[in-house]
Order: sequence, then C-alpha cells, then structure tokens
Amino acid sequence: MVRPIDEKTAVPILSADAMWRSFGSVMAVRDLSFEARPGEIIGLLGPNGAGKTTAIRVLSTILPPTRGKFTLDGIPHTRPAEIRRRIGVLPESSGYPLNQTGGEFLSYHARLFGHPAHRAREVAAALLTEVGLAERASSLIASYSRGMRQRLGVARALVNDPKVIFLDEPTLGLDPAGQRQMLQLIRDLARQRGTTVILSTHFLDEVEEACPRVIILNRGQVVAQGTVAEMRRRVAAPRTGRLRVPPEMHGRALTALQGARGLASVQSADDHAGSLTITLDEASLAEAQNGRGGMNGAIAALVDAGVPILSFELEGSRLSDAFFSMTKED
Amino acid sequence: MAAANDEVTRSQMASAPSTPGWLVVAGQEVRDLWLAGRGPVLVLAFSLLLSALTYLAATNKELNLLDQKDTVNLVMQVTLAVGVALALLLSADTVSGERERGTLEALLLTPLSPREIALGKLLAALTVWPVAAAVSVPYAWALRPGTGLFTDAVVAEIVVGTLVAIAFASFGIIVSTFASTNRVSLAVGFFVFVALMVPTQLPGGAAKGWLGDIFLRVNPLTAGAHFMDKVIVNNHTWSQEAGWLVAPILAALVAATAAVVVTGRLRLQGGIGR
Repeated sequence: MVRPIDEKTAVPILSADAMWRSFGSVMAVRDLSFEARPGEIIGLLGPNGAGKTTAIRVLSTILPPTRGKFTLDGIPHTRPAEIRRRIGVLPESSGYPLNQTGGEFLSYHARLFGHPAHRAREVAAALLTEVGLAERASSLIASYSRGMRQRLGVARALVNDPKVIFLDEPTLGLDPAGQRQMLQLIRDLARQRGTTVILSTHFLDEVEEACPRVIILNRGQVVAQGTVAEMRRRVAAPRTGRLRVPPEMHGRALTALQGARGLASVQSADDHAGSLTITLDEASLAEAQNGRGGMNGAIAALVDAGVPILSFELEGSRLSDAFFSMTKED
Repeated sequence: MAAANDEVTRSQMASAPSTPGWLVVAGQEVRDLWLAGRGPVLVLAFSLLLSALTYLAATNKELNLLDQKDTVNLVMQVTLAVGVALALLLSADTVSGERERGTLEALLLTPLSPREIALGKLLAALTVWPVAAAVSVPYAWALRPGTGLFTDAVVAEIVVGTLVAIAFASFGIIVSTFASTNRVSLAVGFFVFVALMVPTQLPGGAAKGWLGDIFLRVNPLTAGAHFMDKVIVNNHTWSQEAGWLVAPILAALVAATAAVVVTGRLRLQGGIGR
C-alpha cells in the first residue's frame, strides 16, 4: 500500500526547534531548526565533525538535547520511548551479531518492537525480500558483504514500519554498485512507503541524486538549508563558464565573446584551440543569483556569429561548489 | 514492496499481547550463549576439569589424601568458584561487549528501557550458574558413597551459588555499564573476583581472630564457601551456620539493587560522568 502524500501541504512529521547539544565545553550541534514532511528525503550534509551523527543521535533519542526541543509525529522529545516506536535508524558503523542469520536478526528486532514471534518472522521475511536479501535469509551475517550488511541494517530500521528513518552514512565503504542499490532503496522507501528519510552523508553526488532538500551543517551549525537548486543558486551562482568551439573558429568565437553583453573577461583556456573560459561581470552575476540572465548573452553572441558550441559547462553550479563554499575553513 | 505492512502492522503491534521486552532479550541472549556461542565450550571445559578431579579423587589412592566428604566438598567448591566466575565474566561482557561490537546502539533504539535490556542480559548471563551446578551433580553422586550427604551438599551448593552468582553477575553488569572498553570491564571483573577468591584458598589458620572472622564473614565468597564447608564436611545444620549466609544474601540484594539503579544510566558511550 502506498501512503498518499502531498509534500507541500502535509503537516511536518519532524520538527526541530533551536536544538543544541554539547559535550562539556564542545558544542556539537547549535541551534538546529528544520521541518521534514512525510515522504521527503532530506540530505544532512557536512564535512567530518560537522555534527551530523550527533544531530541524528539527538533526533533518534539516543542523546537528549542540551537545549531546544523537537517533535516527531507530534510527540515531544521528552517521550523518547514513544518516538523510538516511530523511527528507524541505521547508525553510522553499525555492528551486527555475526553468529545470527539475517532472518534471526530481523525477527529478534521485530520482537523487540512488540511483534509476536510468528508475526516477527513474517515481517523479517518481507523486509529481507524488500532489501534484496531473501535468498540469504538463512545465511550467517558473518558471510554477508558490507553492502549486504548495510541493506540488512536498513531492513532492521524498518521492522517497526517507521514514519521517519535516519540513515547515517549508509553508503560508506560500498562499491559503486552497492551505492546505487542503496540510493535506489532509499528513494523507494520515500516514494512507496511514504517514509521520511533523513540521509546523513558527505558524498555530495548521492545527495544531488537522492535528496530534493538539503541541510548543510558545519561545526554544529546549519549554514544553509533548502532545495539543491536553491543551494546552487544562493551560494554558488555560476560566475565562470567553459565552452568549446571548433578549433578553426576559435578566433571568431573570441571576437564575438569580447563584444558580448555581461562578460567581465574572455580567455583562451588551457592553450587548447577551441577552449574558452568566460567570466560574468557583477551585473550579470547579480542577475544570475536571481535566476535570470547569466550566460545567455555569451551564448547569444556565439550563435549570432555563427559559431557552433560543442560543449558548455558552468563552473560553480554544482552542489559541491556550494558545499565547499559554505563549509570552507576561515 | 512490503509497505503492505503499514497500518495493519501498527494496529497489530498496538493490540497483540506480546512477550515482555526483557524476556525477548533474555531469550535471544540465551540462544546466542548456548546455541551459537561460548556456553557449550565453557561447560565442556568445566566438566573436563571436574572429571579429572573426580577421577583422581576416586581412583588414585596415593594422590587422594582427602576423605570422601572433603572430596564432595571440593567438587562443590570448585563448582561454586567456576560457576560464579563464568557468570561474572559473561555479565561483564554484556553491555561493554555490545558497545565494542557496535550493536548497542540498535538495542538502545528499540522502545525497551535500558533497564529492560540489562535485565534480559543479566538473566542470560546467570544461566551459566544452574548449568554449572547441574554438571556438578553427577560428580557429587559418583563420590557420595559412604558420605550420606548428597542432597545436603547439592542444596547447599545451589543456595549459596545462586546468591553469590546473582551478586557477582550484578556487579559484572554494573562494571560493564560504565566500562568504555570490554577489556576494562573483563579485567575489573576478573580482578575483583580473584581478590575475593584468594582468601578461600588460604590455610584455615590464616584468618584468625575477630578481624579475620569479620573478613571471612563480609566477603560473600568466603562466607558462602565456609557455610558449604561446615554443612558438607562437618555435618552442621543450616541453622547452626545460618550466620554465614548473611553476606551472600546481602551481597545479592545490594548488588542486584545497585544494578537496577545503575543500568538505568546505560548509555551508548562508556565512562563515568557522561
């Protein structure tokens, strides 16, 4: 069954309000506020030590907040046992009992969440199928690969059919195929179950791939949050572009661009004939930050001059550029 | 996809009468210990030790300087020491072991309270004691001819051993709750056990006088061993020696109570003052 969701109008399932967490004098999370709606996938992004794991541990009731509050499905953080019934968590570097089979492990956890024994076995079997481990249900976890263990961890996080699932670095140590499988699984969780997913990672490409919305943490503080597109626009609007034209038209392209509107400079790039780097002037940059104009003048000039554009790439338009810009050391 | 569980699952979870969480934990821990873990190996090693002891006592007249009652007492005392040591070490491994293996967080993320988790683990660790006691019974039976004390010896062993095992296993889980590593937990547990065990191995005259008497009586291991000694070897009645049971009873009560209090503070990270 698919839960119907309207992400824009739905009531937030998770709401953090000025949440702080310190360890002695070290402030691991400062003033974290955000809301998540049913079925949303939110990327929690930040460099190592940014406070992602601590934020997840607070939101999953493993650690109490030092200050502030949060509610999950309307339940305040002061009722942790009730919250734990509604969440699933794949902790960072989660360990597994190697002498249990995948089926036994999931049945055990299903029983801890109150399922009777026979029902726990059914839930375990269904979840193993869901994460693609049905054929290995009777194998010892010791024989599982890292990717299989991570998928088993996701299955464990689902034994109580949670409304919110926290995944802390779920693709860490996985090969590209394993990463892809995991991301697909995450998308399926949100789309088909309507589960809200909080995905902590420092892999920017997987956030771009899986998360419509991003919270960037640095030194325990939220430095930006919004959609991936907003992040790119707000912090790292493209100022520079690289383009390639046929080598024999390099001179004509250079001339056309030098007369184009809104460019601060035009340079031949890398001593390769046909490669050019163009930079926006301040007025065009401001336009670009407002989601208008930008490089259009340069492209129009080339088209008018009859120069075919073989490739065109904006620098500073990727989430990674935004991320590095916001988390760089002072 | 198995989203089909959805609302049905939630309502089932809410309404179905389910097994208490601590019992689920205990059941799983018992399975892990006895079906897939160290339990059978430890008990096999223990039974080999008792076999060697019994064989020598029963057959080798030159080595056997003890009379029959002393031999039965020796088997019981060894069982007490080994059974309690195993209960202590297994419980000392519970929380810190999970912490070290990275499996504690998943348990803390369940709706169970830390106390329920600890209780389940404590009960599972304690199962080693009745198994050790059961293993000793055939040996006591084999050595009993001419002593007439089989039942008394076994009952004394069970009563004293159960009290002392509860005390030491509770202590073990307290240490494990705070220990930041499993090595620390096991080392502290082992050191305390050895420190309390040593006086039972001293010659009878080593703890003379009122101070020696107090020392023997407050140490649950020495007091329990002394009680068994008097009941099994000297044929004293339980009421005559009841005073020696005070320390094991108090130790079991105090340690179990402390374990209940302390395990409420069970956290993901070890250490004190978290």
